[in-house]
Amino acid sequence: METVFDFFMSIVDRFRYAPLVIQIAVTFTFIAVTLTAIAYLSILINRYRSYQREKKLAKLNPLIDDLLTEHILMNEALYNEETVEPVVPLEVFDKPVFSKKWARQALINRLTMYRDNVQGAMGEQLRYVYLQLGLDKDSLKKLKSSRWDHKIQALAELTNMDVPLADVIILPLTNSRNRELRATARHAYIKLSKNEPFKFFDVATEPLLRWDQIELFRIITTSDRIAIPNFAQWITYSSNKSIVSFCLKLVEHYQQLSAVPAVTKLLDTRDHYLRANAINCLGKLKIESVEDKLISMYDSQPHNCQVEILKAIGRISSGKHVDFLRQEFLHSTDFEIRKHAAKSLINNQWAAEALVQELVETATRENKLILKHCMNPLIKF
Amino acid sequence: MNGIFWETAGKFFESGIFVYGTTLLITYALLATFSIIAVRAYARKEQSYQADPLLSSPLAPGITVLAPAYNEGLTIIYNVRSLMTLVYPKYEIIVINDGSTDNSLEQLIEAFELVAVDFAYNVKIPTQPVRRIYKSSNPAYSQLTIIDKVNGKSKADAVNAGINAASFDYFVCTDVDCILHEHTLIELIKPVLQEPKRRVIATGATLRIANSCEFDQGVMTRMRPPKQLLPRFQEVEYIRAFVLGKMGWSLINCVPNVSGGLGLFDKEVAIRSGGYDFSSFGEDMELMTRMCRYACDNGIDYAIRYVPRTLCWTEAPVTVRIFGRQRTRWARGLAQLMHAHFRMFLRPRYGRMGMVIFPYNFFFELLAPVVEVGGIIFYITGAILGWINWPTAILLLIFVYTYSVMITTLAILWDQLTFRYYKSWREVAYLCFTPFMEMFLYHPLIVFFSLRGYFFFLTGKKSSWGNMQRRGFQQRTPGAAPAN
Repeated sequence: METVFDFFMSIVDRFRYAPLVIQIAVTFTFIAVTLTAIAYLSILINRYRSYQREKKLAKLNPLIDDLLTEHILMNEALYNEETVEPVVPLEVFDKPVFSKKWARQALINRLTMYRDNVQGAMGEQLRYVYLQLGLDKDSLKKLKSSRWDHKIQALAELTNMDVPLADVIILPLTNSRNRELRATARHAYIKLSKNEPFKFFDVATEPLLRWDQIELFRIITTSDRIAIPNFAQWITYSSNKSIVSFCLKLVEHYQQLSAVPAVTKLLDTRDHYLRANAINCLGKLKIESVEDKLISMYDSQPHNCQVEILKAIGRISSGKHVDFLRQEFLHSTDFEIRKHAAKSLINNQWAAEALVQELVETATRENKLILKHCMNPLIKF
Repeated sequence: MNGIFWETAGKFFESGIFVYGTTLLITYALLATFSIIAVRAYARKEQSYQADPLLSSPLAPGITVLAPAYNEGLTIIYNVRSLMTLVYPKYEIIVINDGSTDNSLEQLIEAFELVAVDFAYNVKIPTQPVRRIYKSSNPAYSQLTIIDKVNGKSKADAVNAGINAASFDYFVCTDVDCILHEHTLIELIKPVLQEPKRRVIATGATLRIANSCEFDQGVMTRMRPPKQLLPRFQEVEYIRAFVLGKMGWSLINCVPNVSGGLGLFDKEVAIRSGGYDFSSFGEDMELMTRMCRYACDNGIDYAIRYVPRTLCWTEAPVTVRIFGRQRTRWARGLAQLMHAHFRMFLRPRYGRMGMVIFPYNFFFELLAPVVEVGGIIFYITGAILGWINWPTAILLLIFVYTYSVMITTLAILWDQLTFRYYKSWREVAYLCFTPFMEMFLYHPLIVFFSLRGYFFFLTGKKSSWGNMQRRGFQQRTPGAAPAN
């Protein structure tokens, strides 16, 4: 009688003496079946774990919400901006569940979420809870992790809770090779550094990506505790072009007229992208004194700078250079140039009403269309 | 003598197929590995980002959304309203009415209070004439522009007209019947803003089948795999193509195509490349190839990026007739593309496009149906003549079958590990069982329609785009409890 073992051995023998193609096919079939089974198992386990996690959080989050609502959000003593003594009795958090790591993390997530949405005394109370429950130690532990995503999470939590960090810890991270970590560290540094929040502008060797600029811009412009420096220092001395470009946007946002000489100097830079940014900045600051220089340099500029000059003259709207705009509108062969010249003419209309009317009546069909396009309030761009 | 010839020919064919098959299977294995790396990296990165910095930022680059429409009167108002739910600080929507013969335009004029305006339309890419351009007199719809043009008999011509009227440096091309996620523009522009060195000329994202999903006021509220078999096969195919295929290619900057259903493009490069080719049946892939070619010719260090998150839901054909028309057109487009750009094939000058994407598309996309049919004919001939070693043949068949099921299952796994789109176990199970039937029911259709597409290309048969018959999306009944 043939045993299972004999049957198995006969299959092994067949496999051993089979042609190479068959051996490969059988091996890969075995691998494919195994991997498919593992894949199904992984889907099953992953869904089950997620389900369990959600179930646990669905129980815990309302508990945390109730505690925070009762003691902080509904506390009338915290409805003004004045600093008050800690009002949250910490013993209410003295529950066995908060000894578990996942529950502490859930508490941190909830506290940071609430702190994103409230300010003043309530925000301070949330910070107090975070510190008194020793949750900052959890965050600092993550900061020491070798995983960059843990570091990022820790920095985000500490920044949210305004926990000061030593420069020696955070400055090296602002030049990390990992892009995400570098960006988060820069944001954290700006928010947490008490003395020189923009110090990393001096030490940044890597360019600021456009995304970094958007995030930094939001942090700088929405944090009321940051002392805004004169950005002219970086516009003049920084060798990092992305920092200069970013500072131009900040100059424009804060309407820093004291930085105008530094920005004007940039008109002579060899980098035409930076030059275009400087022209844009001067236009938005409505610096009338640079108009003559812009017009004198116009002919020697590349297309992007010419467009920016036309826009700047429209924004400054001094009414002094309508002839130049008319000239460009009538004689340029480039559609974009004509369109921007027309837009700027319309912006200067207070000084050139008759001219605009004359152009509408006498211009070619296409130019007339451009003018009407620019004059139509329904068309924004 | 005759017998020796056939035997030699058979051995040659077998060896060729062996090498071909092995290369294809290794490529799939590599793609599966690359894609999990890329998908996980995306998921980890996403944890560290918040969407809000861009939402309120004055530094956000402007984006134009282009949505061509031809005889979409049944759903056009609903679809345009859906586009208006997009969340982004600086964008405009241009709907191009491509000479519809139904009342699409009249409906749009009435619903959005449109008036004809004197619009300075600059023809950077030649198209069929534009009749009128409309803007809304209601400030609530200020971001909406409608172009009414003479029918160009292709989506390409309509999109080109939209590109000509676009105000911003980036445009998103979609179909007006597609439902987009509200954060689509943010997700698509992120890779452009986060790229440290290269110029991102296009970004794509995952598309899914909308047939059984629930929508409320143009917003997807409940995602479900399609109940009908044909659309469900397509859902599985989309997951494999986007999550496994394109994400895998994205890791090595070799994305072959950004889908016509949803893609963000660099307007300057698109215009300089000549825009969409109105004579192409695969205009999305054709434009991508031309943009890459332009970038290589002009020394632009470019990148094409893919987002594994599902941002777009589209209605899939539910009948074999409409499905066949769509796939025949795609196959014909692929053949056209290979023919038009064959000079790029294995040319180091065209970098990864010439050395990786083109050879892959040629051997494993274009030739695959031909090889498969060749194999079937060889098998049938062999069976009649008694040459087939049946145990070996069955073993090989089992191998191919299990491998194809594995690849699709891995794609579903990658998707499930990163995004839990489906609510119930049953829905995931539905999807997981689909690959087992794919090889016998769905794949033969694909092969047949591909060969028909090649035949039409070779014979130059005149064929139009055809009208996809819309059934509309499933709306949630007000007050109804969400289904489980």
